[in-house]
Amino acid sequence: MKVNRRFLLSFDWVWFLALLGLAGTGLLAIWSTTVGTSLESYLGRQVVYLCVALVAFLILLYFDYHLYSDYIILAYVSGVALLTLVLVIGRTVHNNKSWINLGGRAFQPSELVKIVVIVALAKYFSESDREDLDLRELVTGGLIVLVPMVLVILQGDLGTAVTFVPIYAALSVIAGLRRKHILVFLLAGALVIPAGWMMLKDYQKNRIQTVFDPSNDPRHVGYQTIQSKIAVGSGRFLGKGFRQGSQGQLGFLPARHTDFVFASWAEERGFAGSVAVLGLFILVALRLLRAAREAKDKVGTLICAGVLSLYWFHVTINVGMALGLLPIAGIPLPFVTAGGSSLISSFAGMGICMNIRMRRYIN
Amino acid sequence: MNLQADSSKQLIQQRLNLFYVPIIAVGALLAVRLWQLQILSGAEYTLLAEKNRIRTIQVVAPRGTITDRNGIPLVENRPSFNILLYRESVTNTDETAAFVTARLGISQEDFSAILSRSKALPVYHPIVIKEDVGIDDISVVEAHKQEHPELQVDREPRRLYRYGQVGAHVVGYVSEVSGDELAKGTFPGARVGSLVGKFGVERTYNDKLTGDDGSRVVLVDSLGREVGLLEEVDSVIGDNLQLTLDLELQTTAQSLLEGKVGAIVAMDPGNGEILALASSPSFDPNNFSTRISPEAWNQLVNDPDRPLQNRAIQNAYPPGSIFKVIMAEAGLDEGLVDDNTRVFCRGSAFFYNREFHCSAKQGHGSVGIEDAIARSCNIFFYELGRRLGISRIAEHAQALGLGTKTGIDLPGERSGLMPSPEWKQRTRGVKWYVGETISVSIGQGAVTTTPIQMLRAIACIASGGRLTTPHVLLRAEGVKDESQFRTEQSALIDPEAMSTIRAGMWQSVNNWGTGHSAAIPGLDICGKTGTVQVIGAERKKELDGNLPALEDHSWFVGFASRDTPEIAVAAFIEHGGKGGITAAPLAREVFRVYFARKQSPVLITKAAPAGSGGRP
Repeated sequence: MKVNRRFLLSFDWVWFLALLGLAGTGLLAIWSTTVGTSLESYLGRQVVYLCVALVAFLILLYFDYHLYSDYIILAYVSGVALLTLVLVIGRTVHNNKSWINLGGRAFQPSELVKIVVIVALAKYFSESDREDLDLRELVTGGLIVLVPMVLVILQGDLGTAVTFVPIYAALSVIAGLRRKHILVFLLAGALVIPAGWMMLKDYQKNRIQTVFDPSNDPRHVGYQTIQSKIAVGSGRFLGKGFRQGSQGQLGFLPARHTDFVFASWAEERGFAGSVAVLGLFILVALRLLRAAREAKDKVGTLICAGVLSLYWFHVTINVGMALGLLPIAGIPLPFVTAGGSSLISSFAGMGICMNIRMRRYIN
Repeated sequence: MNLQADSSKQLIQQRLNLFYVPIIAVGALLAVRLWQLQILSGAEYTLLAEKNRIRTIQVVAPRGTITDRNGIPLVENRPSFNILLYRESVTNTDETAAFVTARLGISQEDFSAILSRSKALPVYHPIVIKEDVGIDDISVVEAHKQEHPELQVDREPRRLYRYGQVGAHVVGYVSEVSGDELAKGTFPGARVGSLVGKFGVERTYNDKLTGDDGSRVVLVDSLGREVGLLEEVDSVIGDNLQLTLDLELQTTAQSLLEGKVGAIVAMDPGNGEILALASSPSFDPNNFSTRISPEAWNQLVNDPDRPLQNRAIQNAYPPGSIFKVIMAEAGLDEGLVDDNTRVFCRGSAFFYNREFHCSAKQGHGSVGIEDAIARSCNIFFYELGRRLGISRIAEHAQALGLGTKTGIDLPGERSGLMPSPEWKQRTRGVKWYVGETISVSIGQGAVTTTPIQMLRAIACIASGGRLTTPHVLLRAEGVKDESQFRTEQSALIDPEAMSTIRAGMWQSVNNWGTGHSAAIPGLDICGKTGTVQVIGAERKKELDGNLPALEDHSWFVGFASRDTPEIAVAAFIEHGGKGGITAAPLAREVFRVYFARKQSPVLITKAAPAGSGGRP
């Protein structure tokens, strides 16, 4: 596709500006909470990551998305190989061995692998002509998700591993689930969830338990939830202003520029700023949904649905955690959280989906 | 095929509609939650955020100082340092515990005990884990400020009782306010951990002595490290007090009681100012000024001699023959006896078919009232008691302040007991026996008095009928009229009766009466001895008269000089033996020191030992 007038006309500027708005929110929040501290270098790096992410976005936009889906097997195999490599040579950050060194910077391949898994699963499910999936397809699709997921679990990064579940669930539903399979899934869930609970580490169990009673252990697990709620609540309607959030500035809020960046934003920008950002997230979600509906073919629909499910899962878990509704999990807020892997992966996903949207009329 | 593809496409569109559910539901849920946190509970969370970052550090105000009547400091403050634990800043309890045990010498058990004791306190409330620390502990805490921001050194003024045991029962002591007292609001303004006056002047005038605490409002980070000072309010020292005590006299009184159990009180009979008030055994109030582990406390509480008791006001004893002074006043005032009344003493007499004995077995012969006081003749007062009857005795004794608290400005005063037929009927449900009146006439039986009560009654007689309220506060800073702290009472006593009693008491000391060992040549000391039988004489013989617990109580109450009384002294020694032998010389020593300084120094050197006195 040529970059011509038609390309520019079909480009969804509202969607793109919403993404830039979210990324800008992230930059502002990171700037406010890190300047003048030992974390100061985060802002400059985030700008660089944003540039890289935008380049990736444009590149993925440029080529026909069928190119990606047709050759996805290559990306998938290299992705799995990369995850295996991480297990061998990876770096450990916060108990998770999910990082590798890339040009002096830590990089988390699992973030990008998620996008690859979406495209791979979409491609596989789209090859069926039937209205729903048979057992073989369902199991094969499950394996496509399960292999990288198990590797991520082995890295110890349970939060990222969980994000594979909504991808599989959403694509299965869209591709068509038979009633008896739904029952099987529910049954399996009923069995797996208690078993999984027992396999959780103590700190992970604590995190879940303290959602229900955050004051239980204020210095350890519930402490973070309490401090996050204080940060958000004390922002009130208009917020405390740039660099005025005491919770973030004085270190009461944990991971104020990464996992709890939404709380930092809510503290300094108040209800007005928070609702505005929430609105941007919803806008992007609706754009993704529209892209899925209007996609030219099944693979396009499935890719958009997969990206939507992953993206919305991240937003729900991260904001829900910051507002004290969900357990603390190291799941980044798309476009906003400081960190290159998440930012690039998020823009990459959006690039493919906008690609699908822009090519909806082309045969 | 195309049709099928179309229907399949339609199905997929329908399935895609499912996505609206999580998008709208989650979006709405998060928006509502934001509304709830930021709008509905915004004020509440703002407060919590403020509390997070602002730490108010109380600066304890020093208490007012206490001096004697001449301005000599008795109680001051000294700087001291405590180590505080800010529990909200503890990140790892085990690490803190390990550090505290290894570097500050607090045992693991003590530390756990302190922690569990403070569980009920809000977590932002710092707790004292070690008090009155030295430079070593301070250095340890300061040097590890970065790793252990939860530990901080705090300055606190501490009470310094300059003379330790001397006057301890008057100045009292401070210690940590109890949970009970906090709940009852006994000490307004006191917080958990506050040191408050628990005894003596420290207790009575706690409100005046307590200063206004200051505070420092500081900005802290999440580790509790100070990052800025927002506000500072200086503490204001409490009001200073000047007592009526005379340090020299107090020291004398205290040393006279060394090794004895009892009390010595000296008072200005004209106005009730207490010049000395000593109780023995005593204690060192400096031992109370720390909060934790007062082993000394248990020792004091469990001491059978009860050193914490102020025997001058908190113990009531039978007055013994001192009571005869009250009897004389009653008899003279009622007109039942006069200077010409004489009673013949054979050493014993029958009243209501029972034989009562005099102190002198061979008898005093024919005695008038002055003689009867001077030689402490029981028979005279038995007869007087018979004539008066218990009601009139009680009436006069009560008019002189017996059976009621004197109102001295020290806590815990006892009222003693002046029995009457009504009292006996009420409390024991038994009729009064007239024989009891005879016992009461010489201060035995149910009548009990505190040393301060007897001193006050005698001072009233000495001063010609003025019943003052004994008090230890001379001046309080910021107070114009200290008499607002006491209720002045008065008793109308016949002046003629007074002079007869004074003459009797003068003879007791100066004319070979029972009080002669209180005599100082050149001084007109008046006095009366008392010897209280703890058990009856026969029974004592049966048991073995040498047991110290069975020894008589020893009393002496007197004043000087006869015509211009300026000091009244009461001495009481538990199981001290005869009043004239044990208590009288103690009182004499107090008189000596008082007048030695006041009058001529020559007197001191000329002071004669007991027994060689007598009027020239």
